[in-house]
Amino acid sequence: MASLGALLLLIAFVLAAYTVAAAVVGARRRNNRLVESAIGAFYTVAAVMTVASGVIIYAFVAGDYSIRYVRRYSDSVQPLFYKITSYWGGLDGSVMFWVFLLSCFGAVAVKVNRERHRELIPYVVAVIATVEMFFLFLMVIHNNPFTTYLTETPTDGKGLNPLLQNFYMAIHPPTMYLGFVGLTIPFAFGMAALFTGYLDDSWLRAVRRWTMFSWFFLSLGLTLGMIWAYEELGWGGYWGWDPVENAGALPWFTATAFLHSLMVQERRGMLRVWNVTLVITSFLLTIVGTFLTRSGVVQSIHAFGEDAQLARYFIVFMVSTTVFCFGWVIYRLPLLKARHELDSWMSKEAAFLVNNWILLFSALFILFATLFPTITEAVNGERLTVGPPFFNRWMVPIGLILLLLTGIGPLLAWRKSTISNLREQFLWPVLAALVTGGTLVALGVRVWSSGLCFALSGLVVGTIVQEFVRGGVVRRGLTGTDFFTAMIGLVSRNKRRYGGYIIHLGMVLIFLGFAGQGFSSDQQLLLKPGEEQKVGNYTIHLDALRVTDDGQKQMITGHVTVKNTKGEVIDQMKPAKWYYRKHEEEPTTEVAIRRSFAEDLYIVMPAFEVEEQTASVEVHINPLVNWVWFGFSILAIGTAIALLPEASLSFAAASIPAEAATAMLVLLSILISSGTAFAQHVETGQDPRLQLVSPKAREVAHKLACWCGGCSRLPVGQCSCGMCATERSNIDQMLKEGKDETQILDYYVTTYGGNQVLSEPPTSGSGRVVWAMPIVAGVGGFLTVAYLAMRWSRRPSIAGMPAGIEDPEMTARLDDELRNLD
Amino acid sequence: MLQPWQFFLLGGMLAATAVVIVATGQAPANIIILSITVVSISFVGMGAYRMLAPLAAEHVDAPTTIGGRTRLAIEREKNLVLRSIKELEFDFAMRKIAQGDFDEMSARLRARAAGLMTQLDAGGGYRELIAKEIEARLAESPSASSVDEDARAGQCAACGTANDTDAKFCKNCGHRLGTD
Repeated sequence: MASLGALLLLIAFVLAAYTVAAAVVGARRRNNRLVESAIGAFYTVAAVMTVASGVIIYAFVAGDYSIRYVRRYSDSVQPLFYKITSYWGGLDGSVMFWVFLLSCFGAVAVKVNRERHRELIPYVVAVIATVEMFFLFLMVIHNNPFTTYLTETPTDGKGLNPLLQNFYMAIHPPTMYLGFVGLTIPFAFGMAALFTGYLDDSWLRAVRRWTMFSWFFLSLGLTLGMIWAYEELGWGGYWGWDPVENAGALPWFTATAFLHSLMVQERRGMLRVWNVTLVITSFLLTIVGTFLTRSGVVQSIHAFGEDAQLARYFIVFMVSTTVFCFGWVIYRLPLLKARHELDSWMSKEAAFLVNNWILLFSALFILFATLFPTITEAVNGERLTVGPPFFNRWMVPIGLILLLLTGIGPLLAWRKSTISNLREQFLWPVLAALVTGGTLVALGVRVWSSGLCFALSGLVVGTIVQEFVRGGVVRRGLTGTDFFTAMIGLVSRNKRRYGGYIIHLGMVLIFLGFAGQGFSSDQQLLLKPGEEQKVGNYTIHLDALRVTDDGQKQMITGHVTVKNTKGEVIDQMKPAKWYYRKHEEEPTTEVAIRRSFAEDLYIVMPAFEVEEQTASVEVHINPLVNWVWFGFSILAIGTAIALLPEASLSFAAASIPAEAATAMLVLLSILISSGTAFAQHVETGQDPRLQLVSPKAREVAHKLACWCGGCSRLPVGQCSCGMCATERSNIDQMLKEGKDETQILDYYVTTYGGNQVLSEPPTSGSGRVVWAMPIVAGVGGFLTVAYLAMRWSRRPSIAGMPAGIEDPEMTARLDDELRNLD
Repeated sequence: MLQPWQFFLLGGMLAATAVVIVATGQAPANIIILSITVVSISFVGMGAYRMLAPLAAEHVDAPTTIGGRTRLAIEREKNLVLRSIKELEFDFAMRKIAQGDFDEMSARLRARAAGLMTQLDAGGGYRELIAKEIEARLAESPSASSVDEDARAGQCAACGTANDTDAKFCKNCGHRLGTD
């Protein structure tokens, strides 16, 4: 079995190499036979990878523990579903799974575009096959998932990490990979366009759909990751700026930028260099993402451990790809000259330019801040931590600016907006924003970031509603139908635009959820059975503490009754702690969540004492969290509308609402079913002390980053692991002894030998760099964009504007065809 | 007529059946995964055939290209340009674009659409277009008359012998040609 698998990988590598050679030679000599053969070989790689995947899944399911990888990531008691998903549970398998997805995805992309983009296809095939070759090379040389034990064959495996035995974690990597892999396709088309010199808009058309598709999967992957973190890690939040989460977000930002800027190229012929650059950058960032996850250069809960050799292979690949790709961009610069100039700052182009710059800045900022600890350690050996507070400080305003642009971008005209245009377009949205903001101030909302976020959401919603209504009115005027039919017709005729608006709406809802974080609260309780305590509008009553066992794990469950202000029982909740066999030293924390659209009641039991029958219970109240997930399902509907094929136009008008409703139901059912899901959090075996800590101690603890190694460096005040619980009570103790905040922080810095225990880098020493960089890059980037825009706007308009069509017959035909489109 | 892929799929399914018979006694999940794997081997076969067949083929069909691009690509592009015009008109109707800008952008898009339509009408690339043009011009002046002219140009004024057009003296009598 194992040798068959290894042989298949080798065959796949040889086939990929043949594909590259045949495709390039065939294209250069215009030899159709070679090109066709290369395409055949390209399909064969996908088939071979399918067989290899079948082999490894069979090994998992049948329990072939002579294979190292199978033994490490599964055992015989695991449920069948997790046995199959163990395929991508570890490093070697996930690389293989990556190649499998890439080969299948690539095969489909080539099959679909083979006829339309004949001139690009040989190079597309060659580029994708080169990427496959790199990963296959890694497997053959370094991380072969089919490596066996030489001498003795173990009878059972070690079992998958309990943290990964969760539904979301099982499907999160494949969706993430689909997003990553999907971005290879636009990259391949972009490179093919560079090679051939066919740098008009045709390659953009080929990749638009693929980019949107992979963008959707990236969003889905990120959302699943957030749901997982929320239910699994037990600290009450969903985004901890973990390096690997960041790695997933990087290409998301650049892909978003690309989806916007390609509209500028399509419509105005501008930003051509920029688009090629964005596609290449997105691809490189997916590789960086894989690199960060797989090589262990940054500390993360996802990382599979340090592997210097692998890191070296990746660095060589990344550097050579970067040099090669940008070399081609520079070589083709003359062909990439913009056809038009920027007419005015009050135009859609300018808004897109700003939007692109901010998105790219976000990606670069996150990349830099994520890698910063690694860089300083390599440069001067100083270890620092760039924790969530630092990211939030920068990303909150950036998010708000993006939200603002989402509101104003659609209202601006191409080329230039006149004052009267502006007045007409902005009246209602701005009113909506002012009313929302005013109401909030009147209600006494005092969190500035959240309040601003709500007001901007009002602006965006106003914009979207206005676009729909005005569009509907115009269409009604054109077609003479009733308003509702006109509305459906509107969406089905302009799927990309109105799908995009629906995606914007989804983003607004997601931002509402983010803004809700500003109002979250948490409280720590120490309860014995029969005791109760009030938290916010709830009363938490501990009924009992029970110990049970189901063969795979021992479970200690706190039975909690929740009452509302009137004293009525509204729910029974069961936070728990599970001790998996063979992983007893890493108990998982099972979160109990009571969901509603207004707020979540989120209960964790980080510690307990069975003899004394005492449980330490943490209660988080998280307002509006569910709007993040709900917003995602709206986003999914929007993407589906935007992705509907052109050919579906004729019948789409009637079927869109039904489809949307189905999609929504499916997503909602996923969400609702998740309400009962148990979540886990693996921690170190340290036994936390049962103690209540003062709010001041929590505040100080927020300035420290968890250093236990398993918790993605959350602030100690937030982290739910045993070590942090102990440290929180230590801080409480020190406060009682009369020490102040700086003394306590100094104590930790000296005890643990460095600034890495602080959750934000200090503003002295090399820590200054990380503080200065966003400002320098932000201002520098803004100046660059401004300078380029100035140059564009000064560039004389290219002469020889087509004088229009002279032939009246042609004009008549054109008008005729245009009418037929309706 | 049996297609190659049918042959491979049939073979794969037969092999899968054989595997299922051999593997009796194993858990159902194992058998299902095994048979899926075996069927996917037939895809490898198809792929290999697809890879090798073009190399041995006498002639590989290339789709009709127009100016280096496939007809399909140009038709798609035309549709997209038409759609852009529609979108632009819609924007204009929603009063987002000034009249002057609209006129200019619309004229440019319409010219592009017209260009693509002409290209499609011609049904060939620029090379073919040029060839057609030449043919048309040649057709205007009948070839027979030009031959007559050529013949007259080489005729000897003294003896009437037909000479080559670039001849300076008659090959029969030696009279100087083209002087009269």
